[in-house]
Amino acid sequence: MEELKNKVRELLKAGTVQAVIGYRAGSDEKTARVAFVRQPDEADGLILDPRCTDNLAVYLLKPEVKLLGKLAIVARPTTARTILQLASENQLADGQVIVLGVSADGKAVVELASFEALEKFVGQVPAGLTEEEKVLLAKIEGMSREERWAFWQSEFARCIKCYACRAACPMCYCSRCIVESNQPQWIPVSPHDEGNLEWHLVRAMHLAGRCLNCGFCAKACPMGIPLNLLTQRLAEEAKAAFGAVAGGSATGEYALSMFKADDKEGFIR
Amino acid sequence: MARIGVFVCHCGENIAGTVDCPKVVESMMHIPGVVHAVDYKYMCSDPGQRMVRDAIREHKLTGVVVAACSPRMHEPTFRRACAEAGLNPFLCEISNIREHCSWVHEKSEATTQKAIDLVRVMVEKVKRNRELQPISVPVTKTALVLGGGIAGIQAALDIANCGHKVVLVEREPSIGGHMAQLSETFPTLDCSQCIMTPRMVEVAQNENITLYTYSELESLDGFIGNFKAKIRMKARSVDMNLCTGCGSCYQKCPQKKIPSEFNTGLGTRTAIYTPFLQAVPNKPVIDRDNCLYFKKGVCKLCEKVCPTKAIKYDQQDEIVEVDVGAVVVATGYNVLNTGFFPEYGYGKYKDVITGLQFERLASASGPTSGEIRRPSDGKVPETVVFVACSGSRDPAKGLPYCSKVCCMYTAKHAMLYKHKMHEGKAYIFYMDIRAGGKMYEEFVRRAVEEDGVNYVRGRVSRIYEEDGQLVVKGADTLLGGMPLEIKADLVVLATAMVASPGAEELAQKLHVSYDAYKFISEAHPKLRPVETNTAGVFVAGACQAPKDIPETVAQASGAASKVLQLFSKPELMREPVVAVVNRTAPPLFSTCVGCFLCEKACPYQAIGREEIKARDGKVLKVVAKVNAGLCQGCGTCVALCRSKSIDLQGFTNEQIFAEIMAL
Repeated sequence: MEELKNKVRELLKAGTVQAVIGYRAGSDEKTARVAFVRQPDEADGLILDPRCTDNLAVYLLKPEVKLLGKLAIVARPTTARTILQLASENQLADGQVIVLGVSADGKAVVELASFEALEKFVGQVPAGLTEEEKVLLAKIEGMSREERWAFWQSEFARCIKCYACRAACPMCYCSRCIVESNQPQWIPVSPHDEGNLEWHLVRAMHLAGRCLNCGFCAKACPMGIPLNLLTQRLAEEAKAAFGAVAGGSATGEYALSMFKADDKEGFIR
Repeated sequence: MARIGVFVCHCGENIAGTVDCPKVVESMMHIPGVVHAVDYKYMCSDPGQRMVRDAIREHKLTGVVVAACSPRMHEPTFRRACAEAGLNPFLCEISNIREHCSWVHEKSEATTQKAIDLVRVMVEKVKRNRELQPISVPVTKTALVLGGGIAGIQAALDIANCGHKVVLVEREPSIGGHMAQLSETFPTLDCSQCIMTPRMVEVAQNENITLYTYSELESLDGFIGNFKAKIRMKARSVDMNLCTGCGSCYQKCPQKKIPSEFNTGLGTRTAIYTPFLQAVPNKPVIDRDNCLYFKKGVCKLCEKVCPTKAIKYDQQDEIVEVDVGAVVVATGYNVLNTGFFPEYGYGKYKDVITGLQFERLASASGPTSGEIRRPSDGKVPETVVFVACSGSRDPAKGLPYCSKVCCMYTAKHAMLYKHKMHEGKAYIFYMDIRAGGKMYEEFVRRAVEEDGVNYVRGRVSRIYEEDGQLVVKGADTLLGGMPLEIKADLVVLATAMVASPGAEELAQKLHVSYDAYKFISEAHPKLRPVETNTAGVFVAGACQAPKDIPETVAQASGAASKVLQLFSKPELMREPVVAVVNRTAPPLFSTCVGCFLCEKACPYQAIGREEIKARDGKVLKVVAKVNAGLCQGCGTCVALCRSKSIDLQGFTNEQIFAEIMAL
């Protein structure tokens, strides 16, 4: 922990970065919040413990955060993978962000200034669902087609279209989301069953093969819809069909925008 | 407010026979924005077109919907009519109520209702149409011809003789193709080589033709008028500039027992070889799979004897890139080999051969110098059985089509045999005689009447060996299916013509469609027989379907004339149906976030990057940019773009959405 704070002070003092994105204590014992540390002495407020699960990479592309100057970011493996995925989508340039990588056990902190270093860092850290999520996914998988449809219908029925999922998702970086387009109005504005379904299906498809399963969308959802299961399931599909795993490299290719002669054509009968 | 005119065509009885056209017109008048609707018997006729032009002027129309046949048929007609009346042609759309409605449904209320729906949908689209301007693209006046058989040679010469550059690519070490292998040609019995080899020399000497033999197309990118072709020149292991074609190398090569491809396996060749003496270019290649040096690292005899030091063992494949404006595919065919037929011995009987092998036996340049001797023991056969339709017209064998040339060449083969062996007996088992063509029927009659060839109408059920002879079991269906058994010395199977190996991969590289038998599909079976569905790619010869030499030459000249038509203008006008990246007010400037996933998704490499700059030159944003010349309007990028920042002119999201919502 002290190691992290020292590193942050050092980076800010030397002027290497103008701000560090990290975690600070939330309003109660259980929560952590994002901290934008801009002065060396503010580093004292940083924390790094099991509460710190949010995917901070989401802040990297916000215009107001970009204005702060060069950034460093405290990154757990999932966040590190997110940064690589953003890089592969041309949203971050090499050397633009200094990553303070936190090892899986949450102890060691390493400074990763290049994508190459980042790729090594995320190398073999397995990404996946929590035990709780696995149980739920298995349950959904076990359902019949009709039951599964009914399950998601009832989940989506609760959606209030607050778009917290979109705000929380680091891969939802469009400056104008499709829901804000009204010529044509792809997705109805008000929260009702049909529009909700459209929104969630579009969201899932837009994240197909890009989701890093940080789980931030589900955590952000005030109605408790397990959204990340949809995108994570699609990630598995992308992996099975094209061997594609998001966030492995800064130059990775997106399976859905590529054509290869040996792509599976199982859907053609 | 839109002022749309709707014009409903009866297409004689084609549409009016099942669709109540006046009712379609009547219902159009209730749609907001439609100010004029009318029906007419033949809208595409001159009076029909005049109705459209007059209505545009009289009613000040802002959009036109013509409910008629497929837009592939008359969209250009009506757009031209609109343009003549001063309306931007892209404000005119066709609603297809013929192929999509009247032709596929019975006469009923529902059919009329469907027609109304189809037209209504198009009215909603046209309301959102914008004026578009055609795009002009330059044309590279060089043609790429793939395949150096008679089709490719003819097309290349025709184009080159009109003063345009041609790049001719041939997979084998020499041009000539199958025609160079043939002995005599029907129906005139003139020697194939005698008419072919001068053409080959002409190709080599034509300064407008660049010849790449022993080369294959690696990839083709771009679009009509502006293709980029990569050609793989396979390592010949011989320096073409140094080699004089003296032949010392292949005379000395110790590897002499390699089956010759040119002689269909009936003769042999060396490891360093030219396929035949009249080869163009007459310069050898080393077959690395059979060369002792490449296999075992020893020998190098050819290098020692070469007087000009032309042998280059370390030569590598080379990729050359050429810019071409048009492509002619003339990659020819192959014939099934005898191994395809279990009932005829799976290819294990040496004296059961294909028609192409018989050509080599009968050819003066062949392994027997034109004497017809059977492969097993070199004996001159006393009885020869020819089996037509071997594989062809046999749905059970998966080849329901007719190979077209077999009736004629089988008659020719029997004739050639009889001319050389007057005492010999020739039998032809046939299903039907298809001798349509100038002097063709007469030719077959000549085989029957003058040369005494025995035609047996029936099929051969089995061939087996017995006492050094082949027993051919068949039936004569003209004699009530009487079983027939003929002891033959040689059996010639007129095996089916099939697509050449690699035809499918080539078609995919060229983005042209092909049929179930891997023959390349023409754009229209009657009206566009030498065009493919990819603009700027033309087809000639047997790679499209089985055909004989005169037809192939005619088609090749046809393809050449299409290429020349394309080259006759300095620029090509293209429909502006291309994708565009949007622009919005600051601070976004465009909703494109520059993820550039579209860049990779584009099958035509039409998407690049563009900097949006402030007045002081500061880069505000980097966004995707579509090269309108390269874009083919496929819409892949539109489907992929998550923020819908890219849209297809003429088929915008807004238009398609409006169409769907109108239903």
